Amino acid sequence: MNSQLNGPIAWLLALIAAAMMIFILAPLVVTVVISIGTSAFAAFPPRGFTLAWYGKVLADPEFQTSLIFSTVLALGATAGALLLGVPAAFALARHEFPGRGGAAAALLSPLIFPVLIIGVALLQMFAMLNSNNTPLNMLIAHVLVTMPYVVRTVTASLLLADTALEDAARTLGAGRWRVFRRITMPQIAPGVAAGALFAFMVSFDNFPISLWLADAQHNPIPILIFQRVASVFDPSIAAISTLMILFAMLIVVALERVIGLRRAVAI
Amino acid sequence: MAAINADTASASAHRSRAEWRRLTLERLVPATLLLPSLLFLAVFFALPALGLVSYSFLTQSPEGTVGLPLTLQHYQHFFGTPLYSRVLLITLRISLCTTAAGVLLAYPVALVMSRSPAAIRRIITMIVIAPLIVSVVVRTYGWQLILGNGPTGILNWILLTTGIAKTPIRLLYTETAVVIGSLHVFFPMMVLPLASALGKIDPRLEDAARTLGAGSWRTFRKITLPLSLPGLAVGCGLVFSLTAGSFVTPAILGGTGAQMLGMLVDQQILVVYDWPFGATVLVAIVLVVNILSNRVLSRRQMADSR
Repeated sequence: MNSQLNGPIAWLLALIAAAMMIFILAPLVVTVVISIGTSAFAAFPPRGFTLAWYGKVLADPEFQTSLIFSTVLALGATAGALLLGVPAAFALARHEFPGRGGAAAALLSPLIFPVLIIGVALLQMFAMLNSNNTPLNMLIAHVLVTMPYVVRTVTASLLLADTALEDAARTLGAGRWRVFRRITMPQIAPGVAAGALFAFMVSFDNFPISLWLADAQHNPIPILIFQRVASVFDPSIAAISTLMILFAMLIVVALERVIGLRRAVAI
Repeated sequence: MAAINADTASASAHRSRAEWRRLTLERLVPATLLLPSLLFLAVFFALPALGLVSYSFLTQSPEGTVGLPLTLQHYQHFFGTPLYSRVLLITLRISLCTTAAGVLLAYPVALVMSRSPAAIRRIITMIVIAPLIVSVVVRTYGWQLILGNGPTGILNWILLTTGIAKTPIRLLYTETAVVIGSLHVFFPMMVLPLASALGKIDPRLEDAARTLGAGSWRTFRKITLPLSLPGLAVGCGLVFSLTAGSFVTPAILGGTGAQMLGMLVDQQILVVYDWPFGATVLVAIVLVVNILSNRVLSRRQMADSR
């Protein structure tokens, strides 16, 4: 712990920090509150309590299709990101070779590149190749944006894993595969799980890439919400949003349990 | 002692064998591990990005096919048309305001975060990070509810009910709304690097300054602030570039009242079908973002070398 703050400045800082916590939570809380109001328009203050908007949303076939598509897409993207990202993380964390820094930078580069551009560039390429398979195009795009998260968390957990244990196991006669299965895997499992959870959420939440590649039959939830914000004014959007918020909170708790939230984000 | 020596000898024999194996596999294994992911990146990231850049130098025929001759006319068009310069200016203004507001508001949060007992730090970290996992569209929708014009917007309802304002204020579809929304979306990107920079500062340095008679303000200005600059620079770079390249927040909160570059791209490509010009605007975004962020980063290097 660093030197504690004290005096009037400390109070001022604490006040600003508290105000910012309210600022951060406000739009989430407001969305939840609006979603359980009875008024036909998303307006404040809400009157009455109802869960009718949730019923309406859950019975909406368009929402159901979106939810299923988003979930399948996110699962596929996570699988793809793990498949490509975990071996890459091993190479980065466990091998010394020329160009390692460059490879690491390349693997993380989709993170710092404006996502808007990734979406447009892929749309252009798919159009040029006449690739009309929307789900496949979107899967490729989502693997691209989720892979860096897997690379980052898995590399970090590999670097933190104790290699002396692996050496010891090898010295005691365990083969490569056995060392990996019994020593390395249990140590990096939380990192891989956190990377997978993050990848799933990044894909599930993604808007700027899906915007370019989605079509009417394959409409992920964030796109559905975006389209409806401009055209639907009842609290059903708030209900969908609340479901998204609750789901995200579940993932937050899971991440905190698995690896610690601060380490999972690693900015 | 002898036993230990024997152990180390056998261990080092093992290690040398492992070393030998590692030497032969040194190149092959990492190459095999990296090949799929790097190939994937080359085909679906580098190639399309290059394709997009090349589009910005090509000509689109009236039939819509893009090809030669090479031209700089899209760039001239972009930088020479007042309408587009205005969009560029608005983008820069919104990104700068968001970054500045971010610095002023994130610094206290990061300070409190790094100087609090573990329990409080944990709560603040949770609150700062949790929204990162909520979709941008959802968060922006929440802001639309809060900032709504007319008496049913939540902020207006509060202002009217408490009597602070007599008539509803107009915030939605202004640049201010976009700044507020962007600040919310990118706030963690400012707080987290800043908090880790502040956490790394040796508390003895601040104690020493105070022992030597410096007041809290002077200690902050001479010790804490300079040592936190690397974190601040990373945060500024992230917030500025992410805001400049954003689409959702200006589209929902700004509308036509605060058109940014991202929306211009969307319009040019999905509405006008002008691919080369859309590509040009995207290249312009990357250029602007990189040049300005590099400025910040080189200043940070200066601060480091001091």
